[in-house]
Amino acid sequence: MRTKQDDLIRYKDGSLYCGLADVWIDPSKPVKKALITHAHFDHFTFGCEEYISTKETAILLKERVGDNIKIKTFEYGEEFKINGINISFHPSGHILGSSQIRFIFAEEKWLISGDFKLQNDQTCKKYETVKTDYLISECTFGLPIFKWDETNKIANDISKWITNSPEKTSLLFCYSLGKAQRLLNEISQTNFKGNIYSHGSIHKMNNSYRKLGIDIKDTIKIENKKKIDELKGSLILLPPSLSKGSYLKNFKNIQTAFASGWMSIRALRKRSGYDKGFAISDHADWDGILEVVKKSEAKNVFFHHGDIEALSKYLVEKESINVLLFGK
Amino acid sequence: MSLKKFSELFSDLDSINSTNNKIEVLKNYFLSNDPIDNSWAIYLLTGKSNKRFISGRYLKNLFSQIYEYPQWLIDTCYLKVGDSAEVITLLLKNKTYSRKKKLSNISLNELLSETIPALSKLNEEEKNLEIKNLWETLPEDNHLIFNKILTGTFRVGVSIGLITKSISKLINIEEEIISHRLMGDFKPSIDSYAFLINKNINLKELNSKPFPFLLANTIEDKIFKNSINNFQFEWKYDGIRMQLIKRSGNVSLWTRGQELVNESFPELVEKMSYIKDDFVLDGELLVWNFKEQIAFDFSLLQKRINRKSPTRSIQIKYPIIFIAYDLLEINGRDIREIKLENRRIELEKYFSKWQTKTQNNISDIFKICDLIFPKDWPDALTYKEKSRENNTEGLIIKKKTSIYSSGRKKGIWWKYKVDPMQLDAVLIYAKGGSGRRAGLYTDYSFALWKDKELIKFASAYSGLTNIEIKELDKWIRKNTIEKFGPVRSLKPEMVFEISFEKIQISKRHKSGIAVRFPRITKWRKDKKINDADSLENAYELMKKIS
Repeated sequence: MRTKQDDLIRYKDGSLYCGLADVWIDPSKPVKKALITHAHFDHFTFGCEEYISTKETAILLKERVGDNIKIKTFEYGEEFKINGINISFHPSGHILGSSQIRFIFAEEKWLISGDFKLQNDQTCKKYETVKTDYLISECTFGLPIFKWDETNKIANDISKWITNSPEKTSLLFCYSLGKAQRLLNEISQTNFKGNIYSHGSIHKMNNSYRKLGIDIKDTIKIENKKKIDELKGSLILLPPSLSKGSYLKNFKNIQTAFASGWMSIRALRKRSGYDKGFAISDHADWDGILEVVKKSEAKNVFFHHGDIEALSKYLVEKESINVLLFGK
Repeated sequence: MSLKKFSELFSDLDSINSTNNKIEVLKNYFLSNDPIDNSWAIYLLTGKSNKRFISGRYLKNLFSQIYEYPQWLIDTCYLKVGDSAEVITLLLKNKTYSRKKKLSNISLNELLSETIPALSKLNEEEKNLEIKNLWETLPEDNHLIFNKILTGTFRVGVSIGLITKSISKLINIEEEIISHRLMGDFKPSIDSYAFLINKNINLKELNSKPFPFLLANTIEDKIFKNSINNFQFEWKYDGIRMQLIKRSGNVSLWTRGQELVNESFPELVEKMSYIKDDFVLDGELLVWNFKEQIAFDFSLLQKRINRKSPTRSIQIKYPIIFIAYDLLEINGRDIREIKLENRRIELEKYFSKWQTKTQNNISDIFKICDLIFPKDWPDALTYKEKSRENNTEGLIIKKKTSIYSSGRKKGIWWKYKVDPMQLDAVLIYAKGGSGRRAGLYTDYSFALWKDKELIKFASAYSGLTNIEIKELDKWIRKNTIEKFGPVRSLKPEMVFEISFEKIQISKRHKSGIAVRFPRITKWRKDKKINDADSLENAYELMKKIS
């Protein structure tokens, strides 16, 4: 257990905290100063006095929660100082605007990976290798059973899934920010040429991406009173929150699928209640995590969000990398 | 043509929920593949292929050994996936080995009739090498099917009924005929498939095959509104449901699980062959207590089921009896379409003829079921309550005017089971589930009080709703005292009502008792652990019954 109070970054009240700078990273409770790695809601909380993020993350956040937040922005790679600590954002490849955050103090480098992936994604900047002494990495999919297929293979599978059932309406559930836009981008390059509709929450994010210069295929905003016939053979993107409950009654003769890394496991696929699962993720798979750890040249590594025990033990035993555990 | 096509079929069937679509997919598969591969597909899909060539543990060890993977890492992955064949499939995906020339077009037939059976003839080292070789040459999409067949765990959400329907649609012949043809031991071959899809129905070739079984439904309240005289009442025996067939002098014993079990019960086959008539009887096989004229416990029957060619001493130690409920065919005449009450008359007539006219004594191994005649419904209830005294599970109620159709047809036969026995017990251990329940704690052990100690008395897996399972899983993770591999010992706090069918003394268990079919019937959130039952309560329950 690592409980060193003098570590530059540590866990405090369930979030990452840099004591010397008095700044929190993706805090789950309101604080004075919050660095935000990306605009997903589980990395953001209302009520902080000041937010700091990349320009893209700031714009996406404001689209989602309104203009009423005080937010300071920096470019990728641009260094800024808080209480004498050098801080910079670097692309993490997770979604548009997502970043790793590097801290430098007294020659000691710390890197928080944020959520990241190495796979190709034309809707955001590619993951950038950053060298560090200490690495704090997520490991959502930190087991070797996770190995992602090429994105275009999944996109072709989705295309086939839709075109094989031309009499049906295909509902594809995915996170409205990031995953939806990546899927749209990929699906538009497949053989599927039918109509694509998207739920309001996704439609809004598509527009934001476009404003930020990302080319996203035009979709039709789905309305409740669409005629069933018109929807036959088309694809509708919906957020997962609508998969259970009465919303689906708006459609007839549907097939459903969920796009998520968890869908690579049959038991989870079966339990999810969707007809089909497409294993596509915006997080790194096992190989991706190992690659990032090695390339970062970190001498000390912390993990959070995932199967920490197995991954840590593997790195210690097989790769002789020093893995530390956070104190709670 | 190929294993690849079958892998696609598996993945399609796995992701389609609608029955009609499944039938369509199956039909198209049969249309576009070789007869021999089709026969293997049917063999696999109907679950006739659970032969285990190697164990899941062996598969995991082998992978660990070949690719220098730590065993504990594979075990951790297994906890997430819940299926050895799938874990190895996923791990193989992550393995960068130099791919050899791919066996892209191996047929299902070649794999199942040559490649895999050939493994059994190899010594361990050769076998391991060959499995490695297959892993590295088979296309990735086929790994799951291959691993599942190897470990005898191939299962997919397709019932025999669904296969029957799709073949029936394929060749436009009634489902009953197809289900008839699919019964018994289906050996994959071009001929067996040709027979299955033969558009000409030949009665002779169907000679040894049983009729589809008619099954009873759970009792419905509306039945009590009818006059009791409309129904026939029988005891519900806890044995093996069976059709006893004698046609052209040959006797065949078929279980409801479509197994031909002549070899396990040779004394019955022999005695029945003395009877002069040909017939098809529906009934139950039991180990019988001739002194008291009641059935012995099912556990004694288990000593006979899986034993082929039992010795004379086994036959004497566990004496069997076939109790006939129904006569379905007599001397080549199919009488399933006549009313039950009339079939019963025929059954009684022929039975008494056989008893008197057969030279050897048959009544030491064969009888017809006694009927019960309750005067009204409350009286029927009284009979039902008494069923434990004669070691039956309750009553079977049959409509006198019904014909013998197939399957779990509604409104014909009902089972009126005696209420289960119940005890309130404390949850003390939980184990991770497998298959669909992987990653959740779904296998529970329950304890009863003995003085101030909680003693384990039963394990149960079923009875909770999915929502309850998730809730309990969360609680389990927070209230674990210790982990032993996949098992967690838990803070004694949760009380559950456990129902079961039988309770008996068992030296094998610390509690000294064993129960049959334990299941969770209620999560007693209203009860504290001190309110749970004691072993003493369990012993009292046992006394009351015997």
